[in-house]
Amino acid sequence: MSEAIRMYPGAGPDERTTFDAYSAFDVPADLRELHGRYDVETTARRVRNFRYAHEWMMMIGGGWVATIPELPVKTGLGKIVWDDAQSADQLGRRLPELRCGKRSVTTSEAANEGFAALVQEVAEPESPDLTIEKITGMFDVLKPHLLAVYDRMGRETDQISDAPTIEILDDVVRRTRKHIAWGDEVLGRLCDTEARRERRGKRAQEMRTKLEACGGVTGTITDESFGAH
Amino acid sequence: MKRFINHEELARDSRFVRQDSAMVTILAQVPDDVDTLVELLDKLTPMIEKSVQGTEAAPLFEAYGPAFMLVTLNEPLNPDDPALDSRLRQRFHGIFAGELQALEGAGRSLWDFPDAPWEFKMNMARQCWDETRHVQIFEKLLDHVGGWVGMYPESSFLFECACSDDPAMRVAGVNRGLEGLACDVFRDMIRYAEKVGDEKMRQAIDYVLADELTHVRFGSDWVREFTKDDPEYLERTQEFRRSVDKQFSLGGARSNREDAAIPIAWEDRKDAGFTEEELQELVELSGGGPSRETMREAARILLERHRARSQEAGA
Ligand SMILES: [Fe+2]
Ligand SMILES: [Fe+2]
Repeated sequence: MSEAIRMYPGAGPDERTTFDAYSAFDVPADLRELHGRYDVETTARRVRNFRYAHEWMMMIGGGWVATIPELPVKTGLGKIVWDDAQSADQLGRRLPELRCGKRSVTTSEAANEGFAALVQEVAEPESPDLTIEKITGMFDVLKPHLLAVYDRMGRETDQISDAPTIEILDDVVRRTRKHIAWGDEVLGRLCDTEARRERRGKRAQEMRTKLEACGGVTGTITDESFGAH
Repeated sequence: MKRFINHEELARDSRFVRQDSAMVTILAQVPDDVDTLVELLDKLTPMIEKSVQGTEAAPLFEAYGPAFMLVTLNEPLNPDDPALDSRLRQRFHGIFAGELQALEGAGRSLWDFPDAPWEFKMNMARQCWDETRHVQIFEKLLDHVGGWVGMYPESSFLFECACSDDPAMRVAGVNRGLEGLACDVFRDMIRYAEKVGDEKMRQAIDYVLADELTHVRFGSDWVREFTKDDPEYLERTQEFRRSVDKQFSLGGARSNREDAAIPIAWEDRKDAGFTEEELQELVELSGGGPSRETMREAARILLERHRARSQEAGA
């Protein structure tokens, strides 16, 4: 009989989890291992940190809509505001499940003052000629950072015990990837001269430096998630 | 980014031409009297003339005189009307601009009131997406009737009148005043689309109207929530909504009057949480103002004056 690894129906060979037949009844084994990097309390704190980022991105986007003259950017942002609201909402609904109490569904918490200040810096550009600075701060720096953090947490948290968090992060990651691609396209079009490309680069560098200094969305990160987009 | 912006700060691309909203807001105050209307509008003529330069409104200004917008606003859409095309394009252009301002109003409600309840923020965020789609829909419908963005000047009076700095008044102004007006206009447009058999227009606007009912409901719910246990605050909020409704009645163009261009969408509004009492009040406060006959007569006199002035200048 062949020794080929058996997998659950629908799974591909490159999926994280493969299953060996382990009994006479031919039931495939679950090769996922228990224990992840985060305990319940840590995950709850991280989810509150993530929710803080999405709640603020939703509010900032809402405020910017009126200050951005480029019509497709205005309307693109209108949809992203709703996406971020849904992300914040889903993250909040996880909190009571993580022993934070019934009222915790609307709790957002900045990891530290540095991250709270960074979010306000992202929101800072206001005048209609600053679309490049607006979009760069949120879409070249903040969202790529969040994407890297969520992606990593999805792999490092307990794959079985904390699967509900993974499911939510999967949704948020899917939306965030679309947002980053949108922002990149917008900036690609807006930055059509060397001077404008320099504005994008300068703004991104400033924001990245501040993000690194505060330790990112969870205040504890010193890894690859700050890398240039 | 600061909180609470002025309507003049709404950012627009180079296609847009801005117009002072004085002419539209003045309609809320004038009585049904030709002379008063003529005197008030005569003063605005230089401003109007300047704002139509380079837009498709310039020939309308020449043909109908300084009150061309009033004439347009105050006439119902009639398939046999020789001026139908430009009325239709002006109406769609106005709606398109209104949707933009509704998008901006909903977005600003998220930024201006950061401590509002989460459910309120969810409602406003959803409204942002809906208004975004409405902007996109009306950009396409404008093209469908042969128009384009920037062909007429934009007045930001919807944002100006509705965007209060107080949360209850903001939702009363935007979500009940502005969105209520949207319900009236869209019901009227659906009737027009049915009359001319334009199924593309009818279906798209029917979806938009469904969204607007939801937005009015947000308004009805949040006015109640923000003002609960404070009857005096509720009354001030209702008073603000009445003043917005008066402005948005455009001197009776939107009313239940026999000669109204846009009738009040009674059933849709009831569906969206307006009470019978509020609707009766709306009928009363919107019914005042100059009649269509007064508007036409004032427009005729203004056109004569304008022509005389042009001749003088040319001589
Ligand atoms: Fe709308
Ligand atoms: Fe609406």
